[in-house]
Amino acid sequence: MNLARYVISLFVILSLNFAIPRAMPGDTMTNLLGEDVILSDDLVQEIRREMGLDLPLREQYIIYWKEILRMNLGYSYHFHSPVLPLVLERMKWTLLLAAPPVIIGALLGTLLGALAGWRDSPSTRLQTFIFLTIYSTPPYFLALLSLYIFGFHLGWVPMKGFYSTGSAGNIIHHIMLPVILMSLFSASRNYMIMRGSVIQERRSLYALYARAKGLYDSQILFRHLFRNAILPIITLIALDFGFIFSGALFIEMVFSMHGMGNLIYSALMYRDYPVLQGSFLIITIMVITANMIADALYGLLDPRVRGR
Amino acid sequence: MKIMHKKIAVLVLILATTAVLQCGSADETVLRIGTQDVVKSASLLGDSNMGVFAHLSNPPLMKMNPDGTLSGQTAKSYSVSEDGMTWRFEIDDNLYWSDGTKLTPEDVKFTFEYISEKYPPAGWIKNTVDDISVDGNAVVFKLNKPYSRLNLEFTTYNILPKHVWEKIDKPTEYTNEGPMVGCGPFVINKTDLGAGVIYFKRNPYWKGREPKIDSIELHMYENADVLSMALEKGDVDAYYKYAGTYPYTGIQKLKDTGNFDFVEKDNVGLVFLGFNLNKEPMSDLQFREAMAYAINYTEILKIDALGYGSVPNRGFVPPSMAYFKETPALEYNPEKAREILDEAGYRDGNGNGIREDSGGNDMKLLLLARSKFQRVAELVKEYISAVGIDVELKVVDDATWIKLKDEYQYDLTITRTTPWGMMMHANWGTGYFDSRRTGEGVLHVLSDPEFQKLCDDILAATSDEELEKYAHSVQDYYAENLPGIALYWNKVFTPYNRKWTGWSSDPLYGIYNLENFLNVERVA
Repeated sequence: MNLARYVISLFVILSLNFAIPRAMPGDTMTNLLGEDVILSDDLVQEIRREMGLDLPLREQYIIYWKEILRMNLGYSYHFHSPVLPLVLERMKWTLLLAAPPVIIGALLGTLLGALAGWRDSPSTRLQTFIFLTIYSTPPYFLALLSLYIFGFHLGWVPMKGFYSTGSAGNIIHHIMLPVILMSLFSASRNYMIMRGSVIQERRSLYALYARAKGLYDSQILFRHLFRNAILPIITLIALDFGFIFSGALFIEMVFSMHGMGNLIYSALMYRDYPVLQGSFLIITIMVITANMIADALYGLLDPRVRGR
Repeated sequence: MKIMHKKIAVLVLILATTAVLQCGSADETVLRIGTQDVVKSASLLGDSNMGVFAHLSNPPLMKMNPDGTLSGQTAKSYSVSEDGMTWRFEIDDNLYWSDGTKLTPEDVKFTFEYISEKYPPAGWIKNTVDDISVDGNAVVFKLNKPYSRLNLEFTTYNILPKHVWEKIDKPTEYTNEGPMVGCGPFVINKTDLGAGVIYFKRNPYWKGREPKIDSIELHMYENADVLSMALEKGDVDAYYKYAGTYPYTGIQKLKDTGNFDFVEKDNVGLVFLGFNLNKEPMSDLQFREAMAYAINYTEILKIDALGYGSVPNRGFVPPSMAYFKETPALEYNPEKAREILDEAGYRDGNGNGIREDSGGNDMKLLLLARSKFQRVAELVKEYISAVGIDVELKVVDDATWIKLKDEYQYDLTITRTTPWGMMMHANWGTGYFDSRRTGEGVLHVLSDPEFQKLCDDILAATSDEELEKYAHSVQDYYAENLPGIALYWNKVFTPYNRKWTGWSSDPLYGIYNLENFLNVERVA
């Protein structure tokens, strides 16, 4: 039943994936030849024909599905590359940039959030203040401010790109600040949710019962409360993994990094249908897979779900 | 403990290697240019920014000089027959490709035959040039009609090595991350999009004037603020943006550091108010006259360009273009604008504060603006509203703007011209108005036979005197008919670090010209 639900979701999302870019004004010829080029109408029609844009939408839709089933994501006239290798190349870098923050943010946020929710003290209040400040700061602003301090003034980190020489150390040097920033954003969100969740759970009767049994604080928190409080975080982390390839847009723009976020943004501006479709296909598969994993984890952690 | 020591040693080794690699060779003179013109793919014919950057490695046949005149580049010299039908370009016989092969007229012939077939923006060549032949060391273009702008057109197309490109069937899809074979003083050694850098190295077979730098790096930044920081910090030595200036808001900050000078030039491109001339009341000259008086040019210049420029003339074309003609300056006089509108019959009959059109309906116009001109558009909306016309402002991204303006779904629009845009078609901005042409940035709204004949006359002119006469006529036409109203003529500022000297700029590509990179040197 679950599998059928996922298959239907996939079909609907991929159909929307075809429709939405085409519903936007303009088409993939936009910005293809440059702003200051004049052409004849015949030539414009010829280029549109070559790109298959003259075909009726129904035909384009059938071709779209045929190509997806063949795993052919098409060709990008803007990036001058077949879409699949282009997306895979960008994914590689974005994965390097965005995967560590998901893991670091999950560990840091849930752990500190759980402790902050369990015990109220000056140090946890300060922690909450810091994470709340980060959480409510626009990512673009914080990225620019950090670059100004650590890149421009202190000169600790480079100002742009994934690398300059390409060595491992050089790559780490380049992505260090973006990774820290994204980790802090991810951690701050997880922290706020986990803290709230633990505050709610600690008032439950089972927590009181555990205390009455004489269990230590750490045992109550990590053996009993944690399992229940972490459920909403699992959903969010699953979504994070789903959107891992598109979520780093602001960071990529500030740090001039050619990753997936940047690719999707450019494709949107250029109305590059094949790249948009290819990228969204990957994101769709990631989101659905992550949701399937989240469902399975729910089953493991919560016997009530397992029973259904 | 031993393992720990090993780990530390490996880490130190990695860091040391990184440091050494980052330092590079201390003796090499590397010029680093920071740009926001980001290359999306290493495609010389497919990526418009890459095409401009490749002018150093594959110099076009012609070049524009700092004073706006044209002279040969890959061509040593050129001549045109009296009837304007035969153009002869004498090729410099001292040029060699970076793989050691000599550049021949056959390469030039091949380039133009090849791009006319396979590169859409050069498709016009097929319709204009009947025959391209080689005569000694010259390439001869026989046209089917006089075309006075051929030498200007040839400032944009990169010359390609035949022995490399003849094997490439789809040049717009062809990418090459380097090294690329070029014949200029510098050739593209590597296009590294991950690092956001294009590396140029010296052409070992270059026999011309010796450059004073060893290599050039073009560093691409997605973000203007970060590029400004990089410039100030010294990560890059100079700034470049095609058809654009360094942000005016950052100029004083750079000046205050004491480390920067600026190449300052009058811009050939401009921001303008366009009309949908296919609709009323925009097709009414009196209405356009009123609009010309309604706009506060000084205020727009002050707010949008921080005063770095001047109030434009009615003749549209800026003084930085060849054959500029002084026409009356545009004037802000809202009272006069109201009078003209009253005289033209656009009166506020029902006293609701909004004038009525010829059908008796309130005048409500749609002002379509590209997002980068939002601030100017808001000001223009305010000015037009102040003379009694209701304006709905619609600010859209470029792709939406292109679609809506091509479907004529607007009344007024705020857009811009680029330097090359001002020179395309029959020059002097004609390409933006002539309804017989289309393109992403052009309005194609002017079908007046008088204007179109002027364009054809310019294209068919066979002497400089004729060109000058027609250029003046076009500017008079703009001044009298106002198909578009320039909102300001601005200056282009290109900052460079004082550690470098010898900079020069041309009106078309700014500092990105071959002469400049042959002259620039590090201050001793």
